[in-house]
Amino acid sequence: MENNLIIFDSITPVMKSRDLLKNHRISSRIVRTPAKLRKKSCGYSLYVKNGFSDALKIIKDNNVRYIGTSAVDYI
Amino acid sequence: MIYFDNGATTFPKPECVVRAVNGALKYYGANPGRSGHNMSLKASETIYNCRVNCAKLFGIDKPENIIFTSNCTVALNTVIKGLLKSGDHVIISSLEHNAVVRPLEFMKNYGVEYSIADYVPYDDEKTIDNFRKLIKSNTRLVICTHASNVFGVKLPVERIAALCRIYGILFCVDAAQSAGVVPISLKDTCIDFLCTAGHKGLYGPMGTGILVINSEETPESLIQGGTGSMSSCRRQPEMLPDKYESGTPNLPGIAGLNAGVKFVLQRSPGKIEKNEMMLAQRMYDRLSNIKKVKLYTKRPDSKSFVPVISFNIDGYESEQTAVLLNDRFNIAVRAGLHCAPLAHEFFHTDEIGTVRAVMSVFSTQGQIEYFANAVHKISDFKNPSKKVAINI
Repeated sequence: MENNLIIFDSITPVMKSRDLLKNHRISSRIVRTPAKLRKKSCGYSLYVKNGFSDALKIIKDNNVRYIGTSAVDYI
Repeated sequence: MIYFDNGATTFPKPECVVRAVNGALKYYGANPGRSGHNMSLKASETIYNCRVNCAKLFGIDKPENIIFTSNCTVALNTVIKGLLKSGDHVIISSLEHNAVVRPLEFMKNYGVEYSIADYVPYDDEKTIDNFRKLIKSNTRLVICTHASNVFGVKLPVERIAALCRIYGILFCVDAAQSAGVVPISLKDTCIDFLCTAGHKGLYGPMGTGILVINSEETPESLIQGGTGSMSSCRRQPEMLPDKYESGTPNLPGIAGLNAGVKFVLQRSPGKIEKNEMMLAQRMYDRLSNIKKVKLYTKRPDSKSFVPVISFNIDGYESEQTAVLLNDRFNIAVRAGLHCAPLAHEFFHTDEIGTVRAVMSVFSTQGQIEYFANAVHKISDFKNPSKKVAINI
């Protein structure tokens, strides 16, 4: 399965990223980070079903800090 | 009641603010940034939305650099106590509020020293010179009010910011009296930290304040605790805004602040200033025609002032005038020292204080006329001391 989840530390960068993606017509959904992926965080993730690589580039280009990516299949 | 105590807090609040506070309590009062359910996300959304609108208002690109505090004093304390270490020197203006002076007096116990640069009325060059003369090798921070909360005079903060940049000194502006009234863009200036209240010119509820961070160098957090992020890490997160926002945030307050900031953005601070200044000028003109009224500044204009009028009536202490305005004319003003004894010392009003009238977007020409007539009548009272009976 391809990656579809961008994991963040906290709610603010998730919302910032969601808005950035929206500006580029990429839809996403904010979800709690699944327990097995949390590591040291209890933060939030952005689920991006379509356009994941574009989404990641946008987030990187805008210097929003994220802590990893993953693939989930239950959303 | 005719309300001219808008310098303390604006009243009334716009209906949209009342609705926003009510809506947050009634429809989505969940803890923001903690859970994943819809109500919590809606609460988080409101808070984030407020950051975005504040960032827009203050001209910064990063909404995460908008930090919510409980008032302007807490924002100023965060900068002062979070940045300064033993051996550091600070310069402040001679118009500062106790929200700046008292934390600095406290920091003397920890080896921090501070100097006061005299404001020179209506002469930016001389004012800036006074700041420049006080710079020392250990000067770490300059703190300056954007506009005096007592006399409304503006300080040349853009020029002082540029001076600080030349000497590598951090610069903090207290915008409690100017935010929402005067256009402020951190994009165009070298202001590192901007502190303001949410409940004055931004029309939010009391219990809201903002610290805008426009610097790579950030203060230590004064409060540590749960942030809903990096929970298994024992150290406080360094990322913004989490670093400074431990514990459950004031959702109803921030929802109201968001509505207030949108209200201000719709009207635009420049236009608000223009309208309020017109009213302040009218008030000044009317008061200056009353024989026994003493005004302390020249006629206000947008270049050198925010719309604040301070005055006294001969034969009255400022508090006496305020009592009479309240009891006889149903007018609310603030009298006394306004928590800014430095400014009163500078204008030689520290003995009797002043009566302060501050406009808001809801002030009207009719209110100004009524106010001026009331002051005129008070000034005509035969024996001032017998006319004041304070009900206890």
